[in-house]
Order: sequence, then C-alpha cells, then structure tokens
Amino acid sequence: MGAGRWTARARGVRAAAAAVAALGLLATGCGGGSGSGDGKVTIRYSWWGAKDRAELIQKTVKLFEKEHPNIKVKTDFSEYTDFWSKFNTQAAGGNAPDVFQNSYAFLRKYGDKNLLLDLNGQADAGNLSLKGFRDGLEKAGDIDGKLLGVPVGANTFAFFYNPDSYRKAGVTVKDGWTWDDFFAAAKKVRKSDGTRYGASDNANVMYLYDLYLRQNGKAFFTKDDKLGFTKDDLAEWWGRWQQHAKADELVPGKKSEQAKPKASISADLSASEFTWDNFLVRFAAETKTTLDLGPIPTTDGKRTGQYLSSLMLSGSARTQHPKEVAQFIDFMTHDPEVGKIMGYNRGIPATTAQYDAYQPQGVDAKIAAYEKSVSAKLEPITPHPAGADVAEAAFLRIYAQVALGQTSMGKAVDQFFNEAESALGS
Amino acid sequence: MTPTTTRAADGVRPPGGTTPGKATPGTRPAPAAGRRQGRRETLAGYLFLTPWCVGILLLTLGPMLVSLYLAFTDYNLFDSPKWIGFKNFQDLFADDRWWTSVQVTLKYVLIGTPLKLAVALAVALLLVKPRKGQGFYRSAFYAPSLIGASVSIGVVWRAIFNDDAVVDKSMSLFGWDVGGWIGDPDWALPTLITLTVWQFGAPMVIFLAGLKQVPGELYEAAEMDGAGRWRRFRSITLPMISPVLFFNLLLELIHSFQVFTSAVVIAGSGTNTGGPGDSLLVYGWYLYEQGFRNLRMGYAAAMAWMLMLGIGLVTAVLFKTQRGWVHYEEDAR
Amino acid sequence: MSAASLTVGRRRVRSVIWHVGALAVLAVILYPVVWVIGGSFKPGDQIVGSLQLLPTDPITDNYRRLSDGIADVPISTFFTNSLLLAVGSVVGVLFSCSLAAYAFARIRFAGRNALFTLMISTLLLPFQVLIIPQYILFQKLHLINTYVPLLLGKYLAADAFFVFLMVQFMRGLPRELDEAARLDGCGHLRIYWNIVLPLCRPALITSAIFTFIWSWNDFIGPLLYLNEPDKYTVSLGLKLFIDQDSVADYGGMVAMSLVALLPVLLFFLAFQRYLVEGAATSGLKG
Repeated sequence: MGAGRWTARARGVRAAAAAVAALGLLATGCGGGSGSGDGKVTIRYSWWGAKDRAELIQKTVKLFEKEHPNIKVKTDFSEYTDFWSKFNTQAAGGNAPDVFQNSYAFLRKYGDKNLLLDLNGQADAGNLSLKGFRDGLEKAGDIDGKLLGVPVGANTFAFFYNPDSYRKAGVTVKDGWTWDDFFAAAKKVRKSDGTRYGASDNANVMYLYDLYLRQNGKAFFTKDDKLGFTKDDLAEWWGRWQQHAKADELVPGKKSEQAKPKASISADLSASEFTWDNFLVRFAAETKTTLDLGPIPTTDGKRTGQYLSSLMLSGSARTQHPKEVAQFIDFMTHDPEVGKIMGYNRGIPATTAQYDAYQPQGVDAKIAAYEKSVSAKLEPITPHPAGADVAEAAFLRIYAQVALGQTSMGKAVDQFFNEAESALGS
Repeated sequence: MTPTTTRAADGVRPPGGTTPGKATPGTRPAPAAGRRQGRRETLAGYLFLTPWCVGILLLTLGPMLVSLYLAFTDYNLFDSPKWIGFKNFQDLFADDRWWTSVQVTLKYVLIGTPLKLAVALAVALLLVKPRKGQGFYRSAFYAPSLIGASVSIGVVWRAIFNDDAVVDKSMSLFGWDVGGWIGDPDWALPTLITLTVWQFGAPMVIFLAGLKQVPGELYEAAEMDGAGRWRRFRSITLPMISPVLFFNLLLELIHSFQVFTSAVVIAGSGTNTGGPGDSLLVYGWYLYEQGFRNLRMGYAAAMAWMLMLGIGLVTAVLFKTQRGWVHYEEDAR
Repeated sequence: MSAASLTVGRRRVRSVIWHVGALAVLAVILYPVVWVIGGSFKPGDQIVGSLQLLPTDPITDNYRRLSDGIADVPISTFFTNSLLLAVGSVVGVLFSCSLAAYAFARIRFAGRNALFTLMISTLLLPFQVLIIPQYILFQKLHLINTYVPLLLGKYLAADAFFVFLMVQFMRGLPRELDEAARLDGCGHLRIYWNIVLPLCRPALITSAIFTFIWSWNDFIGPLLYLNEPDKYTVSLGLKLFIDQDSVADYGGMVAMSLVALLPVLLFFLAFQRYLVEGAATSGLKG
C-alpha cells in the first residue's frame, strides 16, 4: 500500500500540473473516445441500488463480458437520490453513462431533452431483440414512436397486509372489495389490534391515487401532459383519508415520519399499506412479521386499474457505441442465466426466458403468485410527462403537511396544483 | 483556526492584538531602496501567489461569474441557458417554500450557533487547567466532531430521538412527552440543532487555545480583590477571549448558513421532502433540490447568490459591531 | 498534620470531583458513539428503532461481511483511495497555502490588500454556487473520474481558511529573523523555506489535521467526480449500503462507519496535542 500510494500521489500531482497547463486549452474540448487500441470497446453502465444488487449485477456483467470479449463494461452505482443528481450533473456535462438503469417515470423527462438513445434503430439492425417480453412489456419504453428504454423487470401495485391482524379483526381480504370495505377493515383492525393502526395513511402516494382515478375513468396524468383530475377530486380523495386518520384509524403523520427509513408497515406501526409488490423483499428483511399481498380495493367491485410498471435500461443519446449498448441491453433482458442471477431484485423479469429460468422461493414466490393473480386485470400504463417526478414529490410532501395539521385542505390542494402545473408546464 | 481576523490588510484591527512597538508587517515604512525594490517585492509576491491566483481564477471567480450569469437565466442543465432577467429573483420572493427555507435556516443559525459556542466554551473551561489524562479528555470531547454528518449518524440520531427511545424516555421523566422527535414538525429542527451542537469540537479547540493565552496573574489579582468565579469569568475571561469568540462566531455563522448534509441525513435517506412538513428544509437543501432534482439550475443559482448576499450582510454587521464588544489586548490591560 | 498536607488532601478531593464530573458529561456526549458500537454487533433488523444500547446477543457478522467487500471491490481499496486523497490533500494544502500565506504575511506588494480581501471573501462563498461550473470545467478538461478535481483546489490554495490561518501565524513571527537573513543575502524563497516554514510547524500541523479529516469525510466531491467503484472513497462506499428501493444493510453500514472512523481517529490521536498548540500560538499571540 505504502509505495503504491506515493506513486499514485505523484501521479495525482503530475495530473494536477497537467490540468493547470491545460487551462489555456479550455475552449477546445473535444469528445472523448473510450475505445482503446486493441479494438476493445468500453461502455459505462450506471444504476441505482445498494450492495446486494451490486453483487448480482457484477456477476451478470462478467457473464456478458465473457460472451462479448470485445466489450468491456465499467460499472458504477449509487443510492437512488444520489444517482439522479449525479446523473443530471454528468448529463449536463455531456458525460452521461452509455447505458443506465431508468424507470418509466423518467422516460419523457430525459427523452424530451434528447438524452436517450432511440433503440428502435438498433432493434431493426438486429442488435436488440424485442421478442419474448411478457404482457406487452416491449412497448413499455415506447414514447411517441421512439424506444427510449427496455424493461428488465416489472412490478405492479399491491395491497400489503398483516394476515394475523386481519384474521383477529375477522376481516377477509377478497377480490373485488371496495374502498368502503377497505376503510371499514382498517377501522376494525384498529379496534382489535392493540399495537397497530389499521392502515398506513397512503393518501399521498401518487401511484395509488392514480389507480383510484383509473377506476373512475380518469388518470393522474393525461396524454397531453396535464393533471387528469380537478381540485374537487383531490380534495375528496385526501379528505376521505383525513377523515379516517382523524378517527385514529390510520398511522398519524408524526409516527410515519419518525419510522423512516422504514415504512410504517415494516416498522410494525400499521397492519396494511399500499406499495409496489416487490417491496415485499425489503419488508421481509425489515420486520419479522409475516406480510401478505392482497388485491387493490375497487370502486365498482371489478376494476382495480392496475398496470405493470417497470425498471428499464436506457442508452445515452451521446454514446459512441450504440451497437454495443444495444447488445448489452439485449443480453441483460433475454439471457436466462442473467434471469437466474438477478431473481426479482429489479422486479419480476420482463422476458419469459428469464421469467422461466428463475424458480422463485420464499417471498419471491409470494410476489410471483400475486402477479399471476392480477395479470388478467392489467391495463395500459398511465403516461408520465416530464415533471412527473416533481409532481409526485409535491403530492407526497403537501399531503404530509395536511396530515401533520400544518395546513388546511383547501390551501394544500391549491398548493399542489400550483407546483404540479408549473412542473408540468416547463 | 486563528482568532485574529485581519490586520492592516483590510483595515480591521487585529483581535489578537499587537504589542505596541513590535513591528507589524504592512505598516512598516517602505524600504529606502524605493521603487525598484518595490517592484522586486511585487514580483516576488505574485510569484508566491501564483498557485493561489490560478486557483481563484479557475476554481472560484470563473465559476462564480458563470453562476452569476446563470442566476439571470432559465437553465435546465441540458438546453442552453435562456436570459430572463430578474424573473428568478421575483419567483423567489413569491415562493412559499423559499420563505420556509429562509425561516428554517435562520432558526437553525440563530439558535444553533450560540448554543454550540456556549457548549464549546463550557467544555473548554472544564479542560483548560492541565490535569491528568488531559489528552484523553480533549480527544474524547472532540470525537463527535470526527464523525461528521455521515449516513450512519443520521440513523443513530433517528434512533435515539425515536418514540420511547432514550431521549423521549428521559424527557418523560420530567413530564415532557414529545414522542418521536424527528417525526414532529415542531421538534425535528431542535433535533438537527442538537446534532450540530454535539459536534462542538472545532470551536472548543479554538476556545482552549484562547483560554490558554489569558495571563494567570490577572486571575490571581482578581482573586486577591475577592472576585468570585462568575465575576472573574465576566470581567476577565470573557473580555480576554472575546477576539476568539468573535472568530468562532464568524466561522460558525458562515458555516451554519450553508448547512446541508446533516439536515438530509437526519430527515432520512430517500426522502425527497424537507423533513416532516418541511421543518428541516434548510436553505442548502432547497437549493440542491431545485437545482439537481427539479433541474432549475438558474433558479438555484439565484438562490445561491441570495444566500451569499445574506451571509455577506450578516458578516458585515458582525464586523461593524465588533468594536462594541470585542476587547483587544491593549484595551484589557 | 501540617497545613500543606491538608491543602494537598483538599486538592486531591477536588481533582476526584473534577474527574467524576468530566466523565459524567462525557458519558452523555459519547452515548451515541456507544450506541453505534453496540449497533455494529446487532443483527441488521434490530438496529433501527432499537432501544437497547448494547446487543443482547452480540454477533460479528456485520464485520465479517465487510471482508467480502462491496460489488467486488475489497473494502481496503476504499481505504487506500481515501488515504491517498487525504494525504495528497494535506501535502497540497501545506504547500500551496503556505506559499500564499507567506506572500500575504511577509511580502509588501502592490495590490496586496485588495487580494487579501478577495481571499477572505471567498470564505463566504456557498459551495453550491460553484458545483456546476466546476463540473463542466473538469469535464471539458477530461478529468472526470480522476482525483484531479478533488485535489486540484488543494494544490491551488482554494481553501481560504487555511491561507488565513497561516497568514495569522506568520504575522506573529518575529520580524527580526528575516531581517537578519536578508542582511545575509537570503531571498524570499530561502526565508520562506529555511526560516518561516520550520517556525510555522504548529499552524501547519493544525491545517494538516483539519484537511485530513475534511477530506476523509467529504462526500459530495467524490460522488460527483468519481465513476468507478475502484476509485470510490470510504464515505462513498458507506453510502452504498443504503438504498430506499431494496434491502438496506444497516448492520454492514454501522460496522463500516466505525471502521471508516479508525484512520481519522488514529490521525487525530497522533496529532491532537499539536492542535491546541497550533491554534494557541498562531493568532493569539500578543
């Protein structure tokens, strides 16, 4: 370590000196090629996640490099929020990773700024297969005719509950139950369970409200990048949850804030919660309480409004190696070995080849069973305009202020519309 | 680290004081050799300053001008900046969350800084007399400051301020039941302030250094006159260390206006709101959110410049008032 | 019994009281630290929100997992990188800041006051103002994913705090020293190197300690500029244990944060006695 450190430092000093010398050449920035002399191509792959995901991805990357000896993949990862701020800085500097993890919510945001590679061309050239995807997922990254991302894994919204608490309260969760049933159940559970609230206060979860709107023939966002509901709609939805929160049936705002980074349900504060089905993996690691997945409550006894959302891989529009990026995405989405390694870490595999290759165990099996049970009800996804992520953050934050008693309902609704409309407008 | 501000250089009197008669650089008459000598000195000066000059041009002034320009543009990082004049600043004043962040930050600075300095001074007073195990104590009290604002300290803080955790339990003994502090919009900020105060090591060291310089004879004389502890503290210690106090105050103020990481870390990873009900939305965080999350870099640049104006203003006021309460050695003697 | 031995006895009692008091204060202040140490021996699901200070059933899993590294990168790599950066920063700061400080403190040159004021005013600058322009600059120079962006400022005396510290110290040095040297025909370089620097040792050590600690704990810089896990620093490595989307390894994180602190702690312990002296002898001299 000693000697290496000193030489490396000397290198650092020399590099610093070189940088100073390069001052005058500032303006002449030319694009940096990442190919090296031996005909090998290097691509950079970034994703968000933690240590566990990193270990799996590292294995799949090695597999890919073995199959494609002419391509070297450099990987890096960070935590979700860090990932995006870093991505923004890099992309602004014209230095986005060649290929990166993405999600549906960001496709338009970055697509509009011409940052994402249109993969249709590569698919036509035969570098990327769009066959063998489950439930029409190959279309998931299609934005206005451009293919801006290819899903690696999919998930859907689910109702999480603590079966013991529900049994004790004498409530059975069944297909086609309604919101009235749900709130009544929460009330009963609250009464019979000594420690837990009936449900987490999920009024501020954009994706849940989206389902509710879809059940009523609307959606959170419209196709022309607007909000798909009125102020009255929102006041009604938030008001309904507030009414039950005030009756002490739902987890109070203070407690759920305090429980972070755990969710209320995995902190054993509540007996039910709405979130993405693959969160079961995380919850299982955070609490010893067994949790089950149940159907989303409906408005009419039939429609849940559910759809598949997905984690994707996207390429950078400025990559020097679009072909290799496409080959990489192709391998990561179709190779059965990759499916076996990744399991449900990024949601349920998007292609049947990978789906079949992995035999889910434990909580993974629960998630698989759940997705199977809802697959017949799935509908097309709500479009996410640029600014959707900002609107989502505002939705979360502003209702939380209502729940904490900091603002009135009317003010909160106005505030949300202000912020969301300006985010969508820009 | 030094409690002195600047000497002749910027016209402010040195809090550290200069014994009269001792040559002070900058006030000496120019050497007799005159202009040639002066030119040689100037050349030498700039030679020594070369790295610094390159640095300030390349890393500070250049970027500053760029960000000043950006403050008057609509810039989303990707498309080229569009000039919009003062619109960003107008929007700022109409932005409720901006005002929230100003309030939160002011509260944080105005409560946190005095508290931190008080604790630092108290511990420094405790440690000033040489005792057995002095090194151990000094290091142990400094330990929290080594930790910094890392993710894990966030986890720790959430845990000890949790509902029914150690803080809540001990407060309940006094009939004061808050519950979970970090989840409560009224108590989240105090929690953040506690974290800051807890890391009092740096000002403590500076106070220690200052206290060691107070001549022992002064205390002896005062004791002879029958002055009690408090009297001695008020009329000897405080005036004698007021330059140090001033320096600490200045540094801590500047530092705490820019607080960012510790607020994020306390609010918990993955949160995109400024803590419960924005109660932890410090200025630096809101700026970061607007710039890097919402991609409103022009707006963020405007915010940064407002922050700089604010800090500049506070610093100026501090410098203006220092004559009233900062006692220099000559005055004390 | 003489009066003298009575005072000795009273002094001893006082000393015991002092130690008991100091230890009590210390216990409160170090409570969170003990909590972390205890937590590092608890299973991950018992760390967050746990009341207990110490584990009922201590495990060493968290530490053992560290030896696996993160994403194929051994933990030792992060430490080597952090150490390299910290030591590189220390050298840079000592070199460039002392040069600048010498100029401000000991050379009378045209424009000095203006430049000095400029230097001081950069202390007020929020770092957020500079991030984006600096990033674009380093990107244009093709220096992303190198340590240059993290070190360059240190070699260019960008940290006004340390320049300021050293200026104050140097001003306190007796002027007669360099006057004598000058009569012997020494130029500024000789005076700087042979006379002023050796006398500045306390200030240099103080700057070194702070630079080391700050560089070690820096998070934003490495996050923005480093792309390959091979180059990550300890503070960045620490963050890799956490993610909101999947299982966060709190056990590993807490264990890692303790291990991460060790080098800073050792560095601090080795030099702490100079810290107060450095601060003491610098600005406060009469």
